[in-house]
Amino acid sequence: MDFNINIMIMSGVEDGTLLDYKTTRGDGETTIDKWTLSIGRRDENDLCLRNDTYVSRQHANLHWKNEAWWLEDCESTNGTFMSNPDNFFEDTPVKGIIPISEGQLFRVGRTWLRIQLVE
Amino acid sequence: MPTIALKDILINARQEAYRMRHFYLGAEHLFIAMLDIKGSIAGSILQEQGLKPEYVIDAIRRKVGKGSKNRLWAGIPNTPRAEVLLGIANDLALENGREEINERDLLIALLEEEDSIPIRVLKALSLPDMQILAEIARTYTLNRDSQRPYVKVDFGPEFERAETLSKDHLFILRRMFYGYAQIRVERQLTGGYTKATLLAVTPIDGDNRPHATVVVKIDDHDTILDEAQRYESYVKGLLPALTARLEDKPVAPETSDMAAIKYTLVSGYDQIPHDLRAIVKEWDAQKLGQWIKNELYPAFGRIWWQQNRPFRFQVWREYDWLLPPVLTLEYTKDKALPNNGHVLKFPVKRARLHELEYGDMVSVENFTVQRVYPERSAIQLAISQGTESIAAYKIEVRGVDLSKDTFYRGEVVDSIVGRVYKTRNEQLIHAMRALSPDFDTAGEKIASGNDLIEKLPNPIIAYEEMLDRYVNGSLSTIHGDLHLGNIMIGPNNSAFLIDFAHTRDGHTAFDWATLEVSLLSEVVMPAAGESWDDARTVLRYLIPFNGKQPLPNTHPKIATALETIQYVRDIAQECLASHESWAEYFTALALCSLRALTWGTMPIASRRLMFYVAALSMHELRTRFRPTSETDTPSPEETDITGRSTLL
Repeated sequence: MDFNINIMIMSGVEDGTLLDYKTTRGDGETTIDKWTLSIGRRDENDLCLRNDTYVSRQHANLHWKNEAWWLEDCESTNGTFMSNPDNFFEDTPVKGIIPISEGQLFRVGRTWLRIQLVE
Repeated sequence: MPTIALKDILINARQEAYRMRHFYLGAEHLFIAMLDIKGSIAGSILQEQGLKPEYVIDAIRRKVGKGSKNRLWAGIPNTPRAEVLLGIANDLALENGREEINERDLLIALLEEEDSIPIRVLKALSLPDMQILAEIARTYTLNRDSQRPYVKVDFGPEFERAETLSKDHLFILRRMFYGYAQIRVERQLTGGYTKATLLAVTPIDGDNRPHATVVVKIDDHDTILDEAQRYESYVKGLLPALTARLEDKPVAPETSDMAAIKYTLVSGYDQIPHDLRAIVKEWDAQKLGQWIKNELYPAFGRIWWQQNRPFRFQVWREYDWLLPPVLTLEYTKDKALPNNGHVLKFPVKRARLHELEYGDMVSVENFTVQRVYPERSAIQLAISQGTESIAAYKIEVRGVDLSKDTFYRGEVVDSIVGRVYKTRNEQLIHAMRALSPDFDTAGEKIASGNDLIEKLPNPIIAYEEMLDRYVNGSLSTIHGDLHLGNIMIGPNNSAFLIDFAHTRDGHTAFDWATLEVSLLSEVVMPAAGESWDDARTVLRYLIPFNGKQPLPNTHPKIATALETIQYVRDIAQECLASHESWAEYFTALALCSLRALTWGTMPIASRRLMFYVAALSMHELRTRFRPTSETDTPSPEETDITGRSTLL
């Protein structure tokens, strides 16, 4: 289960930043059945959003499991959201763990992110 | 006009970043900065696509949200994406042999890059193809209006000269019918109780051939552009084949606060459409009622009103927005709330609102900005519940210096402090005073002037407890403003609807109660007269009418006029959640008639009747159509919108 993934920051002061994660480099956390990328404001997170005060210290996780991507909200204060195809201005809150596909936008605190490229 | 230089855009963009407390310079600030400059290519292109720059700016601000007050870094750095955009723009400038980036370069860069927030907003506002827009931007020349052929405006014989159109109206009409040689304004339609102008217009081409007559609505630009969005998302595709359609983009010129949309009546080729408000003077009560039941209701019923899903709601959620603002506040900028000040937040305790008096300091927390009124230096806040046309607990804040403080529609304001200037009850009392009542209106009960029911609840007091009640009702797609002015009669007496600004999923009875109020005003009250005594005469008929008992025979004209209402009641009954349970209908009727009290554009005679209709409906809810006690228990979802207050 070796792969590279890119995540692009889609809003805020770091808008346009492309982040690159490689399992071969030891990024993220690999267990028997899944690979996990942690997202939060604290430095220990794989994806650290220190400039967004609406992001919790440990905010969300992105999992690769059963050949699919999953987004998990870690009971964050301000929530994790998916873009809502029916209403652009009312994002859909993520409760628990939900499936997410490549190219789909999701929001952690105030920051929008997108899984860009999976190899 | 010379193309705007990058430095002017950057100055504007930094100001925007400061106003929004972002402290970085991103694609959104660059785009807003361009739109903010009068005569920009970006603004002009959007207008040709039917979007007004201010509207797009609000939508971008709303999507991004204001930043927090704490700055985490020094200066105003460019975002990586802004750097990329400026790089692309720089290449474009060099390709064209220029050293300096101009507006066109930056606009093309934004449209081609396609991934930034402002472009995502444009896509959500149904502008899908950015590459086509980029092509337009490459060759766009400003001031194209002056090169356009002049569209001659003529007036039909039915158009009354007294209803002259303003310069703005004519400008918008010419822009809308660009490409035709001439238009003929056939007649002004009566419309509703707002300031919108509705015209039946026949375009005529270069060969002097008239095309199908259309209905044009001209109103302030926010209202028009919202309606166009609402039509796209809630109405299009749902409408029956024969109905008014919005086929073109709205027209929203930069030089005017107004905008316009055009309803095409699909089969209207040889006949000028009339609205029902004009027809009531020609048709008798029977014919009118039958038409409503046999043409209007079946044409839209199947896809709309007959959906009839069970819907249990607390009255304020569906009806509070009809009433005047709960509070009008005088803005006190940067003042902290004193110890004896009041905090207003969801869930609102209405009893607390009652204690407020002129001059009290109030902090309103986590309310959403519904409207910004630059001409009055005011904003309107409310608790919003998903769909934007419904917003409970409106609060108006006056005295806001909008050149210093930015507020945008959809913004959730953490806290805004102001001094009480007016309460809702004062507004209702004021509206009542304008009708010169000949009886005491201060008490909880009012004299009805007849012996059938001696005392009625005073509606301007009794509405309060109604708002907290729970109602078991019916939910369906509703028009949202079903008065006579929005119902059109086309060829072969077919039914059309216009004005979809409030179309939504809502309480089904609301549409029929709105229509009843409109008929009471236009058909029933004119059959009685204008005075308070005349209103009381109608009341004497309404009491047995509600109870399905024989009517008196003193005023046959009133009895005849009420036959029309009977048809509406028959339809309303079909739309009730349970066929004999009228509580939901009288709840709707009570609040629709109470709202009409405050309409300056409704004749005084009709508003007098509305007072009694509201009073009688509330009486019926307390006696004849009392909701069952089971409906009074609070539901578990009562506080379900408390939890999302810290976010957009």
